[in-house]
Amino acid sequence: MDWINLILIPAIKSVVLVVVLLTGFAYLTWFERKLIGRFQQRIGPNRAWKFGLGHPIADALKMIFKEEIVPSYTDKVLFVLGPALAIAPALLIFAVIPVGPTLNLFGKEIPLVVADVNIGVLWVLAVAGLGTYGIVLGGWASNNKYSLLGALRTSSQMLSYELPMGILLIAVLLVYGTLNLNQIVTPLTPIPWYLRVWILLAFPFYFITMLAETGRKPFDFPETENELVAGFQTEYGSIKFALYYMTEYLHILGASGLAVTLFFGGWRGPFVDQFPILGLFYFAAKVLAMVFLFIWASASVPRPRYDQLLRFCWTFLFPISLVYMAVTAVLVVVM
Amino acid sequence: MAQTNPIIEKLRARFGNAIQAVDEFRGETTFTLAPKDVVPVAGFLRDDPELHFDHLEDVTSVDRSRYPGLENAPRFAVVYQFISTRSGERIRLKAPVPGDNPVVPTITGLWPGANWPEREIYDLMGIKFEGHPDLRRILLPHNWPNHPLRKEMPRGGEPVPFSMTWEDEEFRSFGTQIIEPKAVQTVPPKQADTNRHMILNMGPQHPSTHGVLRVIVELDGERVVAAYPDIGYLHSGFEKQAESIRYKDFIIYTDRSDYVSSMCTNLGYSLAVEKLMGVEIPPRAQVIRVIMAELQRLASHLLWLGTSVMDAAGVSHALLMYCFREREQILDILELVSGARLTTSYIRPGGLWHDVPPSFVERVQDVLRTFPKRIAEYERMVTDNPVWKRRTMGIGKLTQAQAQAMCCTGPMLRATGLALDYRKLRPYSGYENYDFKVPTATEGDLYARYLCRVEEMKQSLRIIDQALKNLPDGPVWTADRKMALPPRQELDTSMEAVIHHFKLNTEGFTPPKGEIFDCVENPRGQMGFYIVSDGTAHPYRLHMRTPSFVNLQSTDLMARGGFIADLVLVIGSIDIVLGDVDR
Repeated sequence: MDWINLILIPAIKSVVLVVVLLTGFAYLTWFERKLIGRFQQRIGPNRAWKFGLGHPIADALKMIFKEEIVPSYTDKVLFVLGPALAIAPALLIFAVIPVGPTLNLFGKEIPLVVADVNIGVLWVLAVAGLGTYGIVLGGWASNNKYSLLGALRTSSQMLSYELPMGILLIAVLLVYGTLNLNQIVTPLTPIPWYLRVWILLAFPFYFITMLAETGRKPFDFPETENELVAGFQTEYGSIKFALYYMTEYLHILGASGLAVTLFFGGWRGPFVDQFPILGLFYFAAKVLAMVFLFIWASASVPRPRYDQLLRFCWTFLFPISLVYMAVTAVLVVVM
Repeated sequence: MAQTNPIIEKLRARFGNAIQAVDEFRGETTFTLAPKDVVPVAGFLRDDPELHFDHLEDVTSVDRSRYPGLENAPRFAVVYQFISTRSGERIRLKAPVPGDNPVVPTITGLWPGANWPEREIYDLMGIKFEGHPDLRRILLPHNWPNHPLRKEMPRGGEPVPFSMTWEDEEFRSFGTQIIEPKAVQTVPPKQADTNRHMILNMGPQHPSTHGVLRVIVELDGERVVAAYPDIGYLHSGFEKQAESIRYKDFIIYTDRSDYVSSMCTNLGYSLAVEKLMGVEIPPRAQVIRVIMAELQRLASHLLWLGTSVMDAAGVSHALLMYCFREREQILDILELVSGARLTTSYIRPGGLWHDVPPSFVERVQDVLRTFPKRIAEYERMVTDNPVWKRRTMGIGKLTQAQAQAMCCTGPMLRATGLALDYRKLRPYSGYENYDFKVPTATEGDLYARYLCRVEEMKQSLRIIDQALKNLPDGPVWTADRKMALPPRQELDTSMEAVIHHFKLNTEGFTPPKGEIFDCVENPRGQMGFYIVSDGTAHPYRLHMRTPSFVNLQSTDLMARGGFIADLVLVIGSIDIVLGDVDR
């Protein structure tokens, strides 16, 4: 029983992870603005420092120093609680995602995951579901009709899309035979190539549910600036708005990290066995590629209508994911 | 000559004594009737299969109390313009109303689209309409004390009766917190069922109302039960202003009314004034006018395409910036010829401000080269996109009968299958010499409007191409000395020329007494100018019939029963410009 392994190392890992995530979030906004700019034949941010790299820092400073307004007609406790409830689960998702292989540092074996637990995937689903509360409560507490509509849309959208997402995950987990994300990246028994290909077939559908679950364009119904001004966050300003904003981007990172782990081998890549540190870079590169997909979709696809989105989920995605799961089960057992 | 006109014969035979007078001026026929006869005569004009005056172009009014020679006649006159969408024949009905209790029967029973124009008359002139479904002020605040277009109202300098002061409850919380909601109680519309439905106030500050439009929406969940547009936030009294300035000075107001297509509105006003003056415009000026108007139409439709796809897709969608990139090319040309990108004032009564610079032709050829490829690119991106189709097909439907009853014009009407285009119906500026089609669709929904506008862009390119190939040489200003300044060399030798030069520059040109109504096809629909001249250098009365104003009133009809997301697209599909709505 040594406290170093149980408390100190996880604590350090958590701190590093949170710091990396929060900077990652900031530069994700830069990445998105640059990319959207390119998609739109613009240059994008380029004023602060080289390539506009100073913009995220300026944004953060601005957000922090804005006057914090709590409108007098809101439910104050919930209004403040909302952003906190939203961002905490978004950070917690990362606890179980392995970002790299086990490193050998200072004579210690350090796995690059905060919590190597057996119920990794379950943890992700449970915690991601909690995030809905932050949005719904924030929208409700704002006492604003736009916020209310946005919050209601969020809850039904998240609930609906969690179903096909969960079923697709079940199918993928049937193949891997474990809920532990570390073992999914490094399986104990090798998975035959045809099952790997079969899993990849589920990715497009999974990607759609990911877009909906993270509330990203073209499925950004919690916000829908064209109809609901800013949806659930209409009344929020300064750092509380920033927290919601962060949540959205952390969800993107989290969902990308999970998708990379499940579908594209996580941190694995050539020469990882010789140089374990490469795993970190592979993981980051794969996540970035996934984020690129997110942004690409937002620049090229118009937004469907809200009821169309739900109908698409219940009449197309849900049945197809059920069929997919059934076929997978048969494949796993028979072959 | 007046006796040979079959319309006059027919009306006289049918209504006999009801027609008090028939006037002809510049080829326009005006029938004067008692107010009570307007509705039956209008109904006859519309329903008679031979006459077929099926489009109510405009309803407006004149205060004649200071019109020379009419001081003792009934004070007001309500003026109706009709046009036959089949023959292009136009007719004007005029109903004099006494000043002490001005009441006229409403025409909304025949054309529900007369609703807003009649409200505007009530608001600005104070004439009441008997039987009108919703006679309230429309452009001015509900507590405004007077009717500003009446002649006794001063043109500026009047006290502005805002009831708000810093002592008002609304402002007491300034500097401490956001305004308490109870301090800004909004009164829901009378018809709204506030117990069962949610009243959502969209605008005047809202991302997708395309300006300071306010729509009060009655919602059942996310379904729109009713939408009540509220306008007037941008009203600046152009029509009142016009009465105090010279004809040629009003051109800058036409830039600012429809600020997205200023060239077309410039053209409409110039044509109206030229018709009033009876002057001829040299061919080079006419061809350049056509090129500029079509370029402006392209620019306006591009802006519409970009913003309306943005309404459906959000700001990160790439099409908006693609459209802006192409629009930039056109705005550069506008800047090249007029020095301004938005408020051009380039087409003026009498001709053009200046001839085009030498590089003009090359720049327009550039546009002609690049645009077909670019439009094809947009179509690849949008036309067959299943998401876009689902968002627009069957949404915001108007049938042809509804659109005509609501007096819609432009792509709104053409999308229902009626090819009403003033460039074909009553060709102006030589549009009869160009080979182009008027695109129509039959569904009348958002998608049909989209298809019409995209096809119109291609047709505009065709017109520009033909115009550019046949661009004649010559002057760009009329030779008619009623409007044209004497040439410089004459000023050295002729005293008359000097006097004429001085008079034109200080006083301005003076049209003869009379009234005219002239229309052009703006990107949004029919842009009409009704000008009454009393023989001085200022318009006695100038009315702008703007397409956005008339088209906007069908919002409720189109949005009812849809989702709130559809309402946003419906507003976008009308293609309103709030300057054009409020004037």
